[in-house]
Formats: sequence, structure tokens, C-alpha cells
Amino acid sequence: METAFFVRYTERKKQKAGCLLQDRLFLPLDGQYAQYLRDESRTTGKAETISFPRTEQQVRRVLLGTQGPVTVQGARTGLAAAAVPQGGHILNLSQMDRVTALREENGRFFVTVQPGVVLMRLRRMLHTREFDTRGWDEPSLAALRSLKAAGEQFFPTDPTETTATLGGMAACNASGARSFRYGAMRRHVTALRAVLPDGRVLSLRRGQCMAQGLSLRLVCEDGSEVYVSLPDYRMPRAKNASGYFIAPDMDALDLLIGSDGTLAVITELTLALLPQPPVLWGALLFVPDEHSAVRLSESIRREVSCTAALEYFDRGALRILSRSRARGGVFASLPDPQALGSTAVYAELHCREAAEAQAALLRLGELQRAAGGDSARSLVARTETDRETLTFFRHAVPECVNSLIDERRARFPSLSKRGSDMSVPDGALSEMMDIYLRTLREQGFEYAVWGHIGDNHLHVNILPRDMQEHARASQLFAQWAHEVTRLGGAVSAEHGVGKLKAPFLEIMVGRGTLRGMLRVKQAFDPHLRLGCGNLFGNAKELL
Amino acid sequence: MNILVCAKQVPSSGEVRLDPDTGTIIRDGCEAVINPFDSHALEAALCLRERLGGTVSVLSMGIPACADMLRDCVARGADQTLLLTDRAFAGADTLATSYALSLGVSALGGFDLILCGRMAVDGDTAQIGPELSERLGIPCVCDVFAIEPQQDALVVRHETDEGTEQVRVPLPALLTVTRELGVPRMPSIDGVARSLRHDVRTLSCAEAGADPEKCGLSGSPTQVLSTAAPQGRGRAQTLADAGQLCTLLREVLE
Repeated sequence: METAFFVRYTERKKQKAGCLLQDRLFLPLDGQYAQYLRDESRTTGKAETISFPRTEQQVRRVLLGTQGPVTVQGARTGLAAAAVPQGGHILNLSQMDRVTALREENGRFFVTVQPGVVLMRLRRMLHTREFDTRGWDEPSLAALRSLKAAGEQFFPTDPTETTATLGGMAACNASGARSFRYGAMRRHVTALRAVLPDGRVLSLRRGQCMAQGLSLRLVCEDGSEVYVSLPDYRMPRAKNASGYFIAPDMDALDLLIGSDGTLAVITELTLALLPQPPVLWGALLFVPDEHSAVRLSESIRREVSCTAALEYFDRGALRILSRSRARGGVFASLPDPQALGSTAVYAELHCREAAEAQAALLRLGELQRAAGGDSARSLVARTETDRETLTFFRHAVPECVNSLIDERRARFPSLSKRGSDMSVPDGALSEMMDIYLRTLREQGFEYAVWGHIGDNHLHVNILPRDMQEHARASQLFAQWAHEVTRLGGAVSAEHGVGKLKAPFLEIMVGRGTLRGMLRVKQAFDPHLRLGCGNLFGNAKELL
Repeated sequence: MNILVCAKQVPSSGEVRLDPDTGTIIRDGCEAVINPFDSHALEAALCLRERLGGTVSVLSMGIPACADMLRDCVARGADQTLLLTDRAFAGADTLATSYALSLGVSALGGFDLILCGRMAVDGDTAQIGPELSERLGIPCVCDVFAIEPQQDALVVRHETDEGTEQVRVPLPALLTVTRELGVPRMPSIDGVARSLRHDVRTLSCAEAGADPEKCGLSGSPTQVLSTAAPQGRGRAQTLADAGQLCTLLREVLE
């Protein structure tokens, strides 16, 4: 009796999602899978079915076996709700989690992964140089022997959330603190495979499929072709993860990276590794206020060439961390930031030798003093233990803010932190900082700001005290989107646009370019099935 | 209060490897760090100096590269350092080490308080502190986790096999300390700059006035007959969710 009910229930769900009824890959989205309706943005969606393919062939089967919307998911650590479904089917790639090949070319190493490999696992494998080599070909095994004999290698993209999948990171062109030196995810992807919504497979290798001006012709593995007419649009000269990568004569690979799960399903990525820098030091430099921090970061950017990361923490962020620290628990072991100053800049130095790092560190001290700080008020990490302390310090800031919001959610369950992800070009940060501070103070918000000051990219977090403030925060974000656009910046620099920032993308690129981007999508996905709601909001309204 | 901290350089704990032939720790190529328990001793000393004034000195015995560790102690706030370094000191057991350290203490002058980590993470003997106090003829309390200064004495709390105990120790004294006394503070840029200008004083066996027969291997009655690496207990794997767990269980059962 129960079995019959389950079969009918499953069929109903599958029918609603337009799935092949007999295919066991499709699971009804019932209570046990409810977590897959949410992501780290704390947004909840809806779906009828879900699948966990393990191979590219199964991804094809899922896409061919569904007719309605398909939302692609990795580890659901995104902050822009790109992985939150709006009905239909969820294609969760977390079980495609194998490293499938390793290559060495001219002393450089390249690792090929399925999209569900989690960043933390890749780092661990590279550190221990231990891989599950089942199914590896002989060149991969030979490359592994070379890797074991070589100095330690690392993958430089370092988002705060290390449980992110590499596929998700490619989908939003993720970055992190070290992108200041090494660039975002895009720069390190040398090849990928992806399945189009109609089941065709694309295999792209960097440099092998280039646009002619604004025309792009991609050849699928079955010999069929995809023609893409790129909109005539100039991307901002700032760190950018807003909408499609578009440039004359561009590499087709770059279009797929950062496409927010809207063009095709990435099934394999080849990533270039870098040799671990022999000397890695960090320094947290305290300065009197926000503008001294901007001045300090600009001078470090100009003068300390071995800087790999340049991060910012404002007084709100440090105050919240200090408060959490005083309560004891895991944060009690951290140095008290408020004993050292109100605002801080973190600089990470990647050097070939200790003497270079020493000279750079002493220069940081001079620049800190020139910006109005006191170099006695700094924390230097030169040992593994101290590096771990500073890493913990940096990651503790967002955690403490999230805890504060969780406390407030006891009274207002729908309350959430509202965090910006906007960047501006070099030279414009001081003006944008003025705008942030003036508008935040005018409206009486509680806020905490941190982020990648070296890339002129700050996460301004409004911490609403009630639902009214929560609503007002959205209006202020739209205002900032206009200001950032006026300054030539980007509305999303690293999180991707997803669903939450779709209205800002239109502010940034204009309706005409957005329509042009939608035409790009239609070339890959004519029925607009993939990643519904991402980038374009309600895409059908745009047509 | 003038305080001396005894510090040992050890391989970074995540990277301890044994030479399969000799059974001794391979120190080449490993990141060398201050013994973590000694870093808690340094932090305790710096905290006491903040309250009572005085100086913090750091004494070590080891290869010349240990000077970097001592400079790092200066970067964190230590005032002076001494390194006992000589081939004659090599291969010392705890008896020969405590003999050399006692000469280092004499060379540095008198101290009100000597702090050692409860043990070194490479040897795990926990003998140096008590042996050094015996040689210096001063009281010793082991595994101290709280220190409260009084006139000419300290009231300390320490771990015992039965629990904890509070005792009053007249000064001068030697304490071995636990991690509860504080995470070592991080250096500032000014501290690092100071440490770069700091000259680590070194003493050879002869300069320390040591009897070579009591140093290093010759002065060590302990003989290590053999060592063996413990067998691993298998590796743990972290899974992202219940779905992965089910898949893995299915694979195991099949």
C-alpha cells in the first residue's frame, strides 16, 4: 500500500518537473532533500525532483530526461542564490567529485577535476600529494610521480568558504583574498567540458576557440555548431563577476566561466597549479580610520610588489569580533583587535626568500606610519601557528557577524544580513567609501565592512535590527549599484549575480546589453531552462 | 622580576619523521619551530614582566640555526638571549642537557624565576625542568597552569596525578608550565625590526666552562636501543552529506 502510494507520489513529482518517469536518477524532492532548496544566501526555492549524477553521461541523461527548468548545484555555498531552484529539477553535481587526471607540461602541473570536487579536498590532496588514482592513465601517474618529487604546488583561488565546489567556483568566477595577486578563478582554468541543455557536449581548451570580433562559433563533440553573437559591451575595468564575460576576440572558455549556471552544465575542469611560494608572511596593520586604510592599501599596492592579498576590516567588524571574543568560546584565543586600533588592513606577502619578505615587512611598517598608524600596533605572522591565527581572525569576522544575525533571527525569523559585493576601478575607492559611510550613517544602520581593499572591492554588510531596516537596506543597495556604475565599477565582483543581484545587473549594463546577454543564453539554451532566475530575473519579460 | 625562559627548537609537529635506519628524528628539511610548551612559558614570562617589570631572557641549546628561534622570541618581546651551540653538545640526553643549561644560567647571571615548557613535543621526557632545578638547587613545581606573584614568592596552581594543587613557592624557583598560561602573542613589525637588529649571544662548550665529558653523547648515560614509528590506524574521510555516506556504505558492502 505504502509502496504504491510512493510510486504515485514519485510519478506526480516527476511529471510536474517534466522528467522521464522510469529513470531512477530522478528523485522526488521530498523532506529528505529539503536542504537542496536552500543555499548559503539563506534563500529558499522550490523544485519537484532532484538528481545526483556521477558521470557526464548521467548529466546528459538528466538534461535529456527533463523538459522544464533545471537548476545546477554544487555545495550550495553561494551567496547570490544562483543554486536556489525556481521549480523543476535540481541537478546536483556534488557526487561528481573525482580528480580524474594530472599532467605536467614544462614543469607546470595541471589537474583535471569533476565539478563536485570541494576546494578543501583539492588543497588537502595537493598538500599531501595523495590522490585516488583509480582509473588514471599512465601520463597522469607519471605526472603524480613528478608532483611528489617537485616542490609543493597550490591552487591559488581562495574564497573564504573552502567547502565550495570547483564547479561552483568556475560558475561564478570565484575569487578570494589572493586574487589580488593571482587573479580570479578564470585565469587558472585551462580547459573545460560542459553539457548543453539539449545534451550536446562542448570540450573547450584555452586558446583553441576564439571569437572573431563579436562572433563566436563553438563546435560540439558531435560536430554540430553553436553560433553566438556577443553584445557590443565594454566590461568594467574593475574586479568583475557580473554577467557574462564579453570582449572582442575573446576565448569561448571565458564565456562559460562566470555564466552562473545559465549556459551549460560544467562536467570537467582542468586547472593550472602554481608552485607554493617559499616564504609566506602576513601582517595585520591597524590604522586610525577608513580613509587611512584606503591610503595605506593604495600605497602598499604601489610599493610592495610581493603583496598577494590586501584585505580590510572596519571598526564595526572589529567591534563585533571583539565582543564575541570577550564572551569566550572559540574566539577567546584571538588577539583583541580593539586593543590595537579601530580599523585594519591585512597584507599577505608571497616571497622567494626571507630577506625579500623582511624588506617588504619593514616597508609595510613605514607605510602604516605614513598612513597615520603605529607599526607597534600590528600583528605579524611568520610561523605556521601565527598564520593560522591570522587566518582564523579573518574568517572569524564574518562568522561573528552571522552569529549576531542568528541571534536577531530569534525575534525576526526572516531577517538576514545584507552584504554587498561591489567593486570600483583604481582611484575610485575613496569616493565610494565616502558614499558608503555617508549613506549608512544618514540612515542609521548598524554595519560592518570587510573585504578585498586591494581590488577596491569591499563587502559592506548591513546588519538590520528589524524587518523595516531589512527592507530599507535593499533600497540602499540599489542606490549603491547606481553609484558604482557611475564610477565604472561592477555590482558583483566575486559572488556572481545569481538571483539576488539580478536587478543590479540591469542597472550596471543597461536593458539593451542585458537583452544582448539573454540572446547569448538563447544560443546555448533556447528554451531558457538552465538557471532560471539567474542574471536575468524573469528572462521572458526581457524578450 | 628577572625571568629566564628555556626554549628548545623542535620540528613542526605535523612533520615529524623518523629515519628508518637510525630511528632518530629527521630534522633536515622540516620547518623548525619553538617547542609549543616553551612558547607558553615565554608568554607567561612576558605577562609577568608586564605586571612586575624586570627582564625576560631566553636560553636555548642547539644548532646555530636556533638563533632564528631566539630572534623570534625577541620579536615577541624577550630582552636578551643566549644560545649554547657546539658539536660537543650534540646527542645530549636530559642529564647532559640540564648540565649545559645550568652553565648557561650561570653565564647569564641570576634569575628570580626560570620557566620551562612542561615537556618538549619531540622527546616528551618532561625531565629538563626538574633536573635543571636540582642542579641549580632551587625549588621546582611542574605542570603549572596559574601563577600569582606575592612578595618574594609565587602562589601557583599545578596539575598533579590526583587533580590540581595550589602551592606557595619561594623565589628563586623553576616552574614547568602548561598551555593554559597563554597563547604566545604575535610579534609586531616593530618587534620584528628589533629582532633583526638583535645579536644572539652564543657560547661554545669551552666558553661556557663546561667539562666535555659531561656534555653531549659522552655525558649522556641514556642509550636509546631502538625506536619505532607507531602503526597508523587508517585514515578518516570527511563526507559532505548523507548521500555521499550512503554511496560509500554501498560500495563497502558490495
